[in-house]
Amino acid sequence: MSRFEALLDAFFYRPDEDVGGLLDFAAGSDDLAPPLLEEEPVEYLAFRLESECYAVPILAVREICKVPLLTEIPRAEPHLLGVMNLRGELLPVYDVKLRLRLADAPPVVAGPDAGLPPRAARILVLKTDDGPAGVWVDSVAGVVRLKPSMVELSPAGLRGDRDCVAGLGRKGSQLYILLDPEQALTP
Amino acid sequence: MTPGGKALAEFVAEATEILDALGRDLLALDEARGQEADPEHINGIFRAAHSLKGLSGLFGQERISQLAHAAEDLLDRLRLGRLTLDDGVLDTLVDALDTFQALLGEASRTEEGPELTQRTRDMEDRMARLGSPPPAVEEDPLERLELDATVRAVFTEYEEHRLRENVRRGVALWRVRAAFDLTDFDQGLADLNARLKPVGEVISTLPSSRPGGANGIAFDLIFGAKVAAPSLEAALRGTPAELAPLAVRPPQEGAPGPAFDVPRPPPEDVDAELLPPDTDEEAPDEDAEPPGGSTSLATVPVPPIGSPPRMRAVTPPPTVVGLQAAASAPLPAGRPKTEETSLRSLTQTVRVDIGRLDGLINMVGELLLIKANLQRLAETSRQDGTVALSKLFGQELSRETRQLERKLEALQEGLLEARMVPVGQVFDKLARLVRKIAREAGKEIDFVSSGGEVELDKLIVEELSDPLMHLIRNAIDHGAEGPESRLAAGKPRRAVVRLRAEQKGNHVVISVSDDGSGIDEVRVREVALSRGLVTPSQVSEMTRRELLNLIFLPGFSTRASVSALSGRGVGLDVVKNNLGNLSGIIDVWSERGKGTAFHLTLPVTLAIVRALVVGVSGRTYAVPLNSVLEILSVQPRDIRTVERREVLDLRGQTLPFLRLGRLFHLPEHEVNRHFVIVVGLAQQRLGIAVDELFGQQDIVTKPLGGRLSRVKGISGATDLGNRRTVLVLDVAELLEEGIAQERRRA
Repeated sequence: MSRFEALLDAFFYRPDEDVGGLLDFAAGSDDLAPPLLEEEPVEYLAFRLESECYAVPILAVREICKVPLLTEIPRAEPHLLGVMNLRGELLPVYDVKLRLRLADAPPVVAGPDAGLPPRAARILVLKTDDGPAGVWVDSVAGVVRLKPSMVELSPAGLRGDRDCVAGLGRKGSQLYILLDPEQALTP
Repeated sequence: MTPGGKALAEFVAEATEILDALGRDLLALDEARGQEADPEHINGIFRAAHSLKGLSGLFGQERISQLAHAAEDLLDRLRLGRLTLDDGVLDTLVDALDTFQALLGEASRTEEGPELTQRTRDMEDRMARLGSPPPAVEEDPLERLELDATVRAVFTEYEEHRLRENVRRGVALWRVRAAFDLTDFDQGLADLNARLKPVGEVISTLPSSRPGGANGIAFDLIFGAKVAAPSLEAALRGTPAELAPLAVRPPQEGAPGPAFDVPRPPPEDVDAELLPPDTDEEAPDEDAEPPGGSTSLATVPVPPIGSPPRMRAVTPPPTVVGLQAAASAPLPAGRPKTEETSLRSLTQTVRVDIGRLDGLINMVGELLLIKANLQRLAETSRQDGTVALSKLFGQELSRETRQLERKLEALQEGLLEARMVPVGQVFDKLARLVRKIAREAGKEIDFVSSGGEVELDKLIVEELSDPLMHLIRNAIDHGAEGPESRLAAGKPRRAVVRLRAEQKGNHVVISVSDDGSGIDEVRVREVALSRGLVTPSQVSEMTRRELLNLIFLPGFSTRASVSALSGRGVGLDVVKNNLGNLSGIIDVWSERGKGTAFHLTLPVTLAIVRALVVGVSGRTYAVPLNSVLEILSVQPRDIRTVERREVLDLRGQTLPFLRLGRLFHLPEHEVNRHFVIVVGLAQQRLGIAVDELFGQQDIVTKPLGGRLSRVKGISGATDLGNRRTVLVLDVAELLEEGIAQERRRA
């Protein structure tokens, strides 16, 4: 059989071929979710970094935990604080203050020179495309529900070279800086 | 168990599964005796026989292979309609299954009884003789179908047969024409097929003669419908398909045809008839997979609860269910020799998902931590008078702990053994590939592999296949010369490519070698210089060995260099990286005109390793002990510098020396002595200086994960029992860095 024939042969459907997977695939694409008509509020988890209030979509948060012992990774990027062991799972823990220019140097929180973490500090375990990752926050403020109309895209002046700030949410007098978790963790 | 025994056990396990599948399909046919046979089942049996033939051929089981060949022949004729499935054929197939079982039984006891050999031959004859051709029909039913001859010409034999069969039975035939956009036609076509499948049989899919537009492609599906036209139309609603009936002339007057004479929509009850009986349609496909498919599972997972019960689960043998319980060992003595009717399985192998083994090993890791804590408690209670415990109790406790330790070690060892598979699994696959590559490259190659019985962790074996394939491809494509140039160089016409595995202590060395033209180090130097990978002053001091190792540098090999350097080194950096992930290293030897050899040094397992726990600047790290050669205590004044780089004098040899604290940018402080861990892999040696030694411990290394995979010098992390995560050093990478530093400074 020539190469071309072999390719054709592999391509064409044969009566004895199993297409179960494709069937499922085709079935899944049939009914897309109906478009939202009413404004549904979206839940965000709000937290503090230094003195500013930030928020991430709550669906991106897997869990919140107290700061465990962190092990520093030698020669890692500066925003990687270290790794932590969460019930046997190994997770990297990142600092986003550097990225947001809230600090000039990452805090020393891992290794023998680290002091006790502040009582209010927590690690948010975020779900990202590259697996779960921890983010250090100074304190957790709570859950806030924001309607899309309460969110404005971040003004150009606030954007850095990369857009880790997705927008600004306003509820009453409180301003929430909405973080894009995926972007914020990219070095 | 002997290596041969293990291979045999594997064969018996695979073959048993194939026979199980074959039996299921045969049973389905048997239940539908006298009715029209479902082509799915015939196909399933055909595939099973084919797999069995391949498998038994691979393991040198001649008798089974020949019988399978005869069965495959018979089934092929059946499949193509050259033979009708009557009672005689069915009985023969059932008898053949029994014979297979008996043969497998003898094979598992490594016997070869003359009686059974005779029976096998008789069986083969019987199958060959079978062959009342289908009742002669004067007119080919296909002639009655109004289909263009050019279209008919492209049908495969099987498709033609199915079409003929459908015409003969008077099934309503349709041409389903559908045009799709080129960007997503595969989805569209799959969707169409999926809709058609429940309502009939897609006999053939052909590119349509009608052009599908500028960005489109059109197909004609020849389709035999089980339902009437309106339901068919309903089923296709929403697809771009257009239906056109294929006209069939009624059979000629007086032609000895089947009972019905005009095409008509089939009666409603045909549905029930055509539905396959209770078997799982996918089973034959799954089982027909070649041995050791490249899944990451240890083997095919244990079947779900719903599948037909295996007898071995019902009547567990009295022996312990080892994961590789010896199928080669003699079966219980009480068994009669001729056990054709026995329902017991021949194999006592349990197939387990490797993930479960990982889970168990992790569990043992945790147990070991608890044990370490217990041991510490016992120690303190024995030595420390302040604890209000009797001395006797402390002694008792520590004795029990030691007992526990021994048992845990045995458990751990047993689990590790369960993960071990012979590297021959990969070698066999590669051997098949060699023929293909050699043919494509126009080379004459003798492929010699040895040491296939050497065992490695299943995960390592799986990860090895790609790098090995790469190296072998290189050896054939670029190492071995063509027959003519070989003769001209005074070498034998056929080139030899060798694949060899060898156990060396804690490591396995796998080598891929050829007797070809070797690597031209002068060209290597030129290429490395032209790509700016090294500076002229660097290469001027390099030994030949170092020059050769330049081929592993990333960026050394690109597609453009294929012709410049006869393609040597295509993606060798990738090979090196893959091996690095397995804590292995690669080394190259080559002599011009004589050949090239790549040596891969690999650890036997990655699951649990013994590690040395060390301290640097207040941090703790673990060093896998399998790469530690010795430990030295060194005074600062013993460290010398040669051209500003630090070295040690080790029994008259210069040892490259690296301070871990400095490498990791940790705060340094004065110490009055260093501990130097001498690590080595293959021929490379490096001394790594640390501040403290804390002892040895068994560790289960967890990988750092996707986000941290770029971290250099760290292979993972582990838990030492005090809830503190400790990083595990990647010795292969550190070695490389140490050597590279040396090279840079040189």
